[in-house]
Amino acid sequence: MSDVAPQPEAAVAAERLTKRYGSLTAIEDLTFSVAPGEVVGFLGPNGAGKSTTMRILSGTMAGTSGRAAIWGVSVALNPAEAKRHMAYMPENNPLPEDLRVEEYLRLRARLKDVDAGQVDARVNQVMEDCDLVRRASGRLIGQLSKGFRQRVGIADALLAQPKVVILDEPTIGLDPHQILGIRDLIRSLRGQMAVLISSHILHEVEQVCDKVVIINRGRLVAQGRTDDLRRELLPHAGFTVVTKASQAELTALCTAAEPAATVEAGVATDLGWSRYRVILPAQSPARETLATTLLGAGLPLREIAEERYGLEDIFLAATRRTPAEGRRS
Amino acid sequence: MTMRHFRTLLAHELRTALLSGNTWASAALFLALMGGIHFFALLECSRAPQPWTPVEATFRLFWLPLLCVLPLLTMRSFAEERRSGTLSALLTTPASTAAIVWAKFLSAWLTWAAFWCAFLLFPWLVDARLGTVGDQRLSDPATLFGGLCFVLVSGLLHVALGILCSCLTRSAALAALLTFISLLGLTAVGGAMESLPIESWSWLGWLREPAAHLRTFGHLQDFAGGILDSRPLVLYVTGMMLSLGLAVLAVEGQE
Repeated sequence: MSDVAPQPEAAVAAERLTKRYGSLTAIEDLTFSVAPGEVVGFLGPNGAGKSTTMRILSGTMAGTSGRAAIWGVSVALNPAEAKRHMAYMPENNPLPEDLRVEEYLRLRARLKDVDAGQVDARVNQVMEDCDLVRRASGRLIGQLSKGFRQRVGIADALLAQPKVVILDEPTIGLDPHQILGIRDLIRSLRGQMAVLISSHILHEVEQVCDKVVIINRGRLVAQGRTDDLRRELLPHAGFTVVTKASQAELTALCTAAEPAATVEAGVATDLGWSRYRVILPAQSPARETLATTLLGAGLPLREIAEERYGLEDIFLAATRRTPAEGRRS
Repeated sequence: MTMRHFRTLLAHELRTALLSGNTWASAALFLALMGGIHFFALLECSRAPQPWTPVEATFRLFWLPLLCVLPLLTMRSFAEERRSGTLSALLTTPASTAAIVWAKFLSAWLTWAAFWCAFLLFPWLVDARLGTVGDQRLSDPATLFGGLCFVLVSGLLHVALGILCSCLTRSAALAALLTFISLLGLTAVGGAMESLPIESWSWLGWLREPAAHLRTFGHLQDFAGGILDSRPLVLYVTGMMLSLGLAVLAVEGQE
């Protein structure tokens, strides 16, 4: 194994990373980092440049300009050393069909410089961690289901206990049970290794990741913790209110509590009840008192609920932004 | 290139070759082809005395398995791995591209060598059973050894060309076709050089030296005659190095 390097500030660092294919720019000026032990979601619409970025970081593709570093080692200048610190599972997780799972993992362990005396122990450990021991270890990879193939890919990524794991769509094509299993596995890696994970399942990313990096058309549009991004990208709070009051009455009450409040036109539901959407600034104290204000005014009220903005809303807001706004933030 | 990775990769490639149906099909084709050629050469010798031994005649047709079997052996080495994506996965490990290329090359060359060694069982068995027909010897150990040396040494370049062609495409069939064309070009140029009356054409005098290097069939005769000339050795080894160097660049460039 390689010498133990001092822990760098960033386990993964992309600095002004650019990749061009002729006149087509796949990614441009991409700068972000992943701290050691951090789990980061890498998000973007299809064709945004996620896989290209991951391939450059993993050393399987050269960037046009910029710098990619893994554990402080430049991927372009010292690829072999960078690869010793990192494991990468590509999007479609290509595996040799004609090898048995255990044979494949042994081969990969040797290629990843796992100590000869440790190969068996590491292979058994990752097969145990990925639940491959009983049902898949002796089977040909070509005969495995999609879920087990993904597990083999993740087991391979964890074999050499790398400092950085890059997973491109690790749960694609899996059923909900399998997704839960993979999610728990990734969660268990927090603090042990830096994980950069791309996924279209935003709910999953929100549950697993400490931070997200969002790109669109090859440019960075947002990065940070979900709560910070929520405050930055969605600077308002929405309430669903079901009442018999008219829009004018409701607006009058809401603006009395918060002058900047707006009420969107209601939708009649049944027996004279209407559903309205009240929007307040995120930092307004009226957020805490809106329900009591409306009840105190004797408004016929059947339901009031604050909308919870998830990563999906953050993602949609971020991908509507221009790259310049993303950089400024 | 670390030797540790190279050894691991070579062992994996040899194991894959041993378990591959493609290898066994190629071996069957090779042995059927060479066995057939040797059988007809023996038949000719049994009808009338010939100025050549059956083994010599068989080795003179070395280009037939070279063109028909070698492309089948090397076509999948990189093309198939690129198509399935497993080459990308391999390149995410600390193993260098050079180690991967050399391991695939050596595995294919050893398999090619094993084919030829298996073929030698035919003349050995014939020699053990019959020895001579009339006054004519059916096998000559010097020819056998020289011919084998020639196919193994020239095989360095031929297999390396096959590996290079396999690096250039994701289609194994196209890789086989490219290998066939380049090997045909190489042996045809060599054959043409020998048949041209360069000595009598003074204006072609400058071609004498390169022609002496490229005369493939002449090399076979030299080897079979026990002449160890360093020029073909240099040609085949440098050609192999160049092809494998280009293969490394091709793999790194495409990935």
